[in-house]
Amino acid sequence: MAQLELAGNTYEVDDNGFLQETEKWNEDIAKAYAAKEGVTELTEDHWTAINYLRNYYLENGICPMIRRLIKVTGFNLKRLYELFPQGPADSACKWAGVPKPTGCI
Amino acid sequence: MKKNLKLTDFSKDGDTQLTEVNVDELIPLPPPYDKVEELPGWKRITEDQKERLVCNLNGFVALSLPKPQNKEEEKRYVEQFVSGLKKLLSWENNWTFLQPLLLSLDYCAQCQTCNDACPIYLASSKNDLYRPTFRAEVFRRLVNKYVKPGGKLRAKLNKRDIELNWTTISRLYELSYRCNLCRRCAQSCPMGVDNALITRELRKLFSQELGWAPKELHEKGTVLQLEVGSPTGMKPHVVKDNVEFLDEDFTDITGVEVSTPWDREGADVLLIHSAGDILSWPESPVAFAILCNAAGISWTLSSEVPGYDGVNYGLFYDDVQLAKIATKHAQIAKKLKVKKIVMGECGHQHKAFMAVSDRLLTGDLNIPRESVMTFLENLAFSGKIKFDPSKNDFPVTLHDPCNIVRNLGIVEPQRRILRYLCPQFREMTPHGVENYCCGGGGGLSMMSQTNFTDWKVNVAGRIKFKQILEAFSDQPGPEVKKYICAPCLNCKMQFRDLLAYYGAWEKSGITYGGLAELIVNAMVDIKKPFIEWEEY
Repeated sequence: MAQLELAGNTYEVDDNGFLQETEKWNEDIAKAYAAKEGVTELTEDHWTAINYLRNYYLENGICPMIRRLIKVTGFNLKRLYELFPQGPADSACKWAGVPKPTGCI
Repeated sequence: MKKNLKLTDFSKDGDTQLTEVNVDELIPLPPPYDKVEELPGWKRITEDQKERLVCNLNGFVALSLPKPQNKEEEKRYVEQFVSGLKKLLSWENNWTFLQPLLLSLDYCAQCQTCNDACPIYLASSKNDLYRPTFRAEVFRRLVNKYVKPGGKLRAKLNKRDIELNWTTISRLYELSYRCNLCRRCAQSCPMGVDNALITRELRKLFSQELGWAPKELHEKGTVLQLEVGSPTGMKPHVVKDNVEFLDEDFTDITGVEVSTPWDREGADVLLIHSAGDILSWPESPVAFAILCNAAGISWTLSSEVPGYDGVNYGLFYDDVQLAKIATKHAQIAKKLKVKKIVMGECGHQHKAFMAVSDRLLTGDLNIPRESVMTFLENLAFSGKIKFDPSKNDFPVTLHDPCNIVRNLGIVEPQRRILRYLCPQFREMTPHGVENYCCGGGGGLSMMSQTNFTDWKVNVAGRIKFKQILEAFSDQPGPEVKKYICAPCLNCKMQFRDLLAYYGAWEKSGITYGGLAELIVNAMVDIKKPFIEWEEY
């Protein structure tokens, strides 16, 4: 398993850098991931999306459909890519500390 | 680095990469994709990955196999491999595939005809590593040496000996995932030898004997599907909730009431989508709901684990997992007392459930199973739905999913629909049973560890991308929007990666989607265009 240092601690991550121990997540981890992708400040919009993703994941065991994410947050796909450079799956899910979506998606 | 490999190189220099991919040596793409410096290039294996993982094949890593701790561990795996070889060649352990395996091992005349049929070998500008006969011949020599009586002595005498060691098996493992199992090689073989079958048997040996399988196909694939219902992780209440959400959302968007029946006993049709469509390409299941309802079909989806996800990754690597999933699907249909099962737009689901499972599902589990292609054709020509083909007046080409077209011979129904509803439909060259794989076949489209996606878009999908560009070469600019009709979820996943990598939407106006969406887009009753060109 690969290791990654985030906000001063070392965590187990997969080879795409996704946190493997989702329960260890905290807001500093989200900020550290964002910084790695060049986003130095997390705005209220970022947190709206991150918190929704994370709560949906904890409740349902998977990430929400992008269509649902768009409807609930009110951000269209373009806006989501502005907020999360690699997009909702590869950035937003990663910053929210939930595993990379799997299966035929 | 060497492009011309000897078979005996395969077991030498354990930690060293055997060959490499050099972008200048790959077959050229048409402009504007011919300028290598304008493309994103690819990720290199990092030093940390080289420390931890087996990286001894071609500079790409699909499987992230951890390096063994010591020589004993290596030795144990090699012994397990030999035991697996013996099982593959025995009736008791491999009654399903023994006969075609033996025929393919015995009848290869080494004429090398199949090599020129392989899109991966061709795209690589003929790097020996990807010859369909290279992998198969390594395997054949190991079988001859370790399974046949007197094999070790014969191998020594005729100097064609391939040493069996950790290097050999770890490279073979990676190499068995450098093939799309598209079976274009088998189609071209004058003797009927099936090198894709040999590749798949190798994967099976690794999975069933050594416990080695790609995480995406096993742990996050079949295991998750059997446990919660779907490799996407969707549990029954989540899938129902998602589809309900889509029904409402698309009722608003289309102005037509979209509704989906669940678990209706005695329905004529149990439709089994690939659940990834619900999450990532929701227009597809919605289009099916619109069409079934408009044509007055008695249909249902199932919310029982795993009846709402038709994928069966076992087809790619493991007979036991394949059988478990196929049996569950049939049992669910039996319980619902449906007249038939219709498989959604998913190629490997077709092959797993229509063809391979035929030997498994006997008696009252042998419920009629129909392809989505004839099902949609009957809907489109039923006379119950009004169409205006001028709504589809944009260039459309058709990608043939290997498992539906080459492997099952279902060629014309989808074409009759497109000729009827898409005035600018044009074929790729070649097409039909001669098609080229999208590059994601054989389970590869789900696999994206380390830098593997870069290999899929640069090598495996290269010829397909070239074909697509050529099919649209009369209107190459981005101002004309073009549609690749790809009626298979795994193919769509590969097209998403392929088109994004090359920037084909921005540079050429090329996008992709399924077949049902095109049919709905042409419906008179759907007032707004159903196909959204820009992503929402």
